[in-house]
Amino acid sequence: MSELQVRIVSPDSVLYEGPAASVVAPAWDGKVGILPGHAPMIALLGSGELSIDHPEDGSERFFVAGGVLKVEGDDLIILTEFGGTEAPEELPAGAEVDVGAILEALEGTG
Amino acid sequence: MAGSRDVKRRIKSVENTRQITRTMELVATSKLKKATDRVRAAAPYSDALASIVGSLYAPELSEKFPLLRRPEKVRRAAVLLLTANRGLAGSFNANLIKEARLLLERLAGEGIETDLHIVGKKGVSYFRFRGYPISSTRVDIGDNPSMEDAESVIAGLRDEFAAGRTDAVYVVSSEFISAMSTPPRATKLLPIQGGSGSRGLDNFILSPKAEILLQRLLPAYLRNATYRALVENVAAEQGARRTAMKSATDNAGDVLEYLTRSYNRARQGQITQEIAEIVGGAAALE
Repeated sequence: MSELQVRIVSPDSVLYEGPAASVVAPAWDGKVGILPGHAPMIALLGSGELSIDHPEDGSERFFVAGGVLKVEGDDLIILTEFGGTEAPEELPAGAEVDVGAILEALEGTG
Repeated sequence: MAGSRDVKRRIKSVENTRQITRTMELVATSKLKKATDRVRAAAPYSDALASIVGSLYAPELSEKFPLLRRPEKVRRAAVLLLTANRGLAGSFNANLIKEARLLLERLAGEGIETDLHIVGKKGVSYFRFRGYPISSTRVDIGDNPSMEDAESVIAGLRDEFAAGRTDAVYVVSSEFISAMSTPPRATKLLPIQGGSGSRGLDNFILSPKAEILLQRLLPAYLRNATYRALVENVAAEQGARRTAMKSATDNAGDVLEYLTRSYNRARQGQITQEIAEIVGGAAALE
């Protein structure tokens, strides 16, 4: 079975780079699970826990806030304004995603 | 003899100068190392973000969102010039200022009004001395620019563009190719580049839709582009300073060599003269 190639990149570092069997990421409107062979996708990120299941066994957890993820082929790139292994006490400015405003904008554009 | 004493004093002074330039070279080298690491660390994020933003952009979106607008006629442009707070970096600041002046002249030639925003004491003092109208200045950004610095620099320009008060935003900064090669460049930040219409995203799932994604990502993209320009500029400054201080140190070495030689010659001349005087005196006694 094929594997995902995952990269988690924040503005000042690459947090993770390697293969994964599956990834669960916090998109703006809820968690999104990604397996190998996923359709190409670009999704806005919210904030929350991102977990990576390693191809063998074990998993890794990160905290991300704000940004975007892109799946193309089996490459998954996660760009996050804030990323770390622990949730910060306070979210950095601009990382908060206002779901209500996006839904409203979606209404507005039909 | 007075001559040799003067030379001795100059040797001392050049030695002191060499000590200072050598220290500055070492400091610049260590700062350059850190700055280069930061430039390298910033690259993956900004490259990936730029490619996503570029592929999401489609010209037809520009009508709905102020940040995406593409004015047909540019009446007013904002120019953001990034310089250093300190000098002694060879032609680093002068090159940036020259690039900015060329850009300002070109824009003026096209009948475009310009707002000049400057970061860094060197640029500020140049344009202030020239009596050039400056819209805003920032001199508080140090050797380790942060995302917050970038946001505070670009926020005003972004809002002005979105509000339609300016139709283009340029950034003049140094490109960091290597420590030896840091050419100044003028980049057009807004209107957003790319997006020829062939999006190549037809089979992509977009969540939420492209225009809202873009609207959310653009501020981050601009902030990041500014951050990268700031970080590259710091690295370029340190690279230029290291090069300048290295050649100053080398020059001081050459001057020292020359001065030591003239000092020795003067000393030798003095000894020869004294011997001649003694010999002459002894000969006169015979």
